[in-house]
Amino acid sequence: MTSATLDPAGYGARPRDSRQSGRAWRAARVTVLSEFYERGRVASTLFMLSTRAALTYWLWHALYASTTSSAGLNVRQATTYAMLGVFYIAFRTVNRWAARDTMVQLMLEGTIAYWFLRPVSPRRYYAIRASGDLAYGTGWAVLAYCVCLAGGLVEPPVSTRAGLATLASLALGLVILYYLKLLIDLACFWTTVNFQLMIMYEIVQNVLAGALVPLWFFPAWFTSFDRLLPFQGTLNVPLSLYIGRTPVSQLGGDLAVQAIWIVVLALLSTLVWRRAAERVTVLGG
Amino acid sequence: MFDGRLTVFEQWALYYRINRLNLKAQAAYRGEFVLGLLFGLVWQGSMVLFAGVLLLRFPGLGGWKQGDVLLIASMRLVSHSFYVALFSNIARLSMYVQEGRMDGYLLRPMPVYRQVLLSQFQVNSFGDLLAGAGIFVFAVFRLHIAWTPLIVLYIAAGILGGMMIEAGVQTLLAIAALRFTGTFTWTSWIDQMISTFGNYPLNVLPSPVKDALTFAFPVAFIAYLPAAVVTGHTASAGIPLLLTVASPAIGIAFFLMAKAAWYRSLSLYESVGG
Amino acid sequence: MNINRGTASSPRPGTEGTIVAQGLTKVFHTTARRTGRLSAVSSLIRPQRVAKAAVSDVSFRIDPGELVAFLGPNGAGKSTTIKMLTGILTPSSGRVEVNGLVPHRERIANARRVGAVFGQRSQLWWDLPARDSLGVLADIHGVPPQRFREQVAAFDRILELSAFWDTRARQLSLGQRVRCDLAAALIHDPAVLYLDEPTIGMDVVVKEQVREFLRDQVEQRGRTVVLTTHDMTEVERLAERVILINGGRIVYDGNLDTLRRTHAGAVNGTADLEEIMRHAFGDRAQLEAVQFGAGETGAAQLAAARLAAARLGNGVRS
Repeated sequence: MTSATLDPAGYGARPRDSRQSGRAWRAARVTVLSEFYERGRVASTLFMLSTRAALTYWLWHALYASTTSSAGLNVRQATTYAMLGVFYIAFRTVNRWAARDTMVQLMLEGTIAYWFLRPVSPRRYYAIRASGDLAYGTGWAVLAYCVCLAGGLVEPPVSTRAGLATLASLALGLVILYYLKLLIDLACFWTTVNFQLMIMYEIVQNVLAGALVPLWFFPAWFTSFDRLLPFQGTLNVPLSLYIGRTPVSQLGGDLAVQAIWIVVLALLSTLVWRRAAERVTVLGG
Repeated sequence: MFDGRLTVFEQWALYYRINRLNLKAQAAYRGEFVLGLLFGLVWQGSMVLFAGVLLLRFPGLGGWKQGDVLLIASMRLVSHSFYVALFSNIARLSMYVQEGRMDGYLLRPMPVYRQVLLSQFQVNSFGDLLAGAGIFVFAVFRLHIAWTPLIVLYIAAGILGGMMIEAGVQTLLAIAALRFTGTFTWTSWIDQMISTFGNYPLNVLPSPVKDALTFAFPVAFIAYLPAAVVTGHTASAGIPLLLTVASPAIGIAFFLMAKAAWYRSLSLYESVGG
Repeated sequence: MNINRGTASSPRPGTEGTIVAQGLTKVFHTTARRTGRLSAVSSLIRPQRVAKAAVSDVSFRIDPGELVAFLGPNGAGKSTTIKMLTGILTPSSGRVEVNGLVPHRERIANARRVGAVFGQRSQLWWDLPARDSLGVLADIHGVPPQRFREQVAAFDRILELSAFWDTRARQLSLGQRVRCDLAAALIHDPAVLYLDEPTIGMDVVVKEQVREFLRDQVEQRGRTVVLTTHDMTEVERLAERVILINGGRIVYDGNLDTLRRTHAGAVNGTADLEEIMRHAFGDRAQLEAVQFGAGETGAAQLAAARLAAARLGNGVRS
């Protein structure tokens, strides 16, 4: 055997043998690189977003043309909420279709097998890539927000405290979003395809989070029911704090509900990951 | 040589068989299938919710009565459901190109466009139609207009024209998909734009924006302008009366133009892979 | 399967590059499609489950630095066997040990010591230039930058990757992509390399280049290589030892020359391997393999792919 040239244990790193690679987090850059190598995609994102935002702005101003207050919101509050909702829809997830990198595409092409052949657990790899998506989306969202803020299209937060409260609940909301998306993706291990589930989820998420219409315009029975679900914590809670529709004093209760959902979803996803790994058998053939 | 020309009857029998097989193939994925049936309902339901919530909160939008605005929304929904049932596979073209299925279509003795339309049975369209029909009936009871055969005929023509506009826009986009990757984000953008802004009297928007949504991206012709004719709001539309009244015909003309452009552009196709 | 960390364990010394399989069996449970009236509806409500053994009682031992080819018609169980060796599939019964580790139990530790290329399934990121993909994989495997550069330079010498590694994967030709995938599978310098139909669909020049690379990996680097293929020339050029699988069982395991000699008489004295294969598996099996040699794509997966093509557009709304 000519194993003198081989160091299969990984560059003398034998003690770290079954530990995962410390540099693996750098895989998060795949999303950013993919998007920037496709410049046309970035340009069209810009165009689509600005038209949508502009139309939303005009529509809400038109709606308020004959009234000053509706559902406890004035025109500036409602417009700010709606505009930030547009950014939420646009940057909540990165669309990996064109990059052939959605869970369902990996499943159908069988390339998901490679996830199980790397010294990083699929679970961690998924989280790394999702954080790359989040960083990329956040970058755009912050840019869009700053432009709109400078142009007076959206209002700044009603107070510094409200702004900080918004950030706190937004952070928890993003964790909830991560787990929800993860569960939808993991469904692929059972159903192979999850297209319908995915789009159904997108719609439900957008409606119940308040991204389509601010939740304040919905009837009371609807919002009290929605309050129990995880979705509104991802957008309505932070935005309502931001525009001053809910007082900062309510923050504690909202954070508690979000935290409970995070715990529930985290436990559920741990369970599902474990089962999913057992389901990899269906990939064989 | 084998002359495989089909009679009209044989053609329809073939379409029926293809659709039946497609349906069967999709039923193999049980959860997906059931969700597909529900999908149209949920999607359109959320759009109706959007329009409904705003209508309740902001009555008298752009000088239109509630029932009148509902007519716009319901005409759009019904025309959209027909579009989904008959034409929406064309919006999948970018996927077919990516998958290499387009190569196969070019090899078969049937028009490529028709093969694309037949590529999949639209389970969604049931839900779409259900939602559309429901809100349409609802709107009809709230409309205070004199029902004449001409009005009924005009509404039907308007729905047809609306379907044609949507099909035409997506067909034009499909032409781009022959050459460029990643056009499907545009598909979804168009879908969203139409479902969000196709439900309102567009005269509430600033005039240049309204004009853009009429002449650059013909959302206005889908439901707003036909409904304006029916409900007598043509004056506030700010568009030549003849053009407003002719919107169903414009829809059909627009589609025919898009289809002609499609057949001229097939040569643009660049197969994937090396 | 342990999806998190493999249990902390180091392989026993002297087991690197060794593969041992004993009584390996894999049973799949699938949903049967019914035929006839209302079949779609009844499958929807009450699907029928069917068990099928893809691999039964397979045993062999592969030593370090060996190159072994698995041969057999489509659906014979080659890919399933390879997937069990990689740890992707957990055997229904039997024992498997690679580099002294049980792959499906000690997943992370195993992943550091094996590399794999599954036919046309690329692990490169579609929108990234190939070199960027290699860089990301090096990070995932924790390969230090200096080592990474050396590795890539070494691969480039035979595979000539630099000619196209700044091209995005989506624009690479098949041959270029598989060469990049080979580099991707070896970026962490594994002792064992699995190749499931690596040269399928490639032109002769590229095939020869890949073979040269594999020979170099075995002879110079001492890697153990396990490959499945339908390409008989490949087997003749590369493998001394072949394992023939049919119907999920091993029908021959041994020297290629011995196989040739045993069957030579039966097929009119020819030493042509394709003739021998035809003799071993029957005409139909081999013909199928030659015509449709598109990997072990099961019927279910094909159906899924077809449906995917049809349904993909649905995702566009999201």
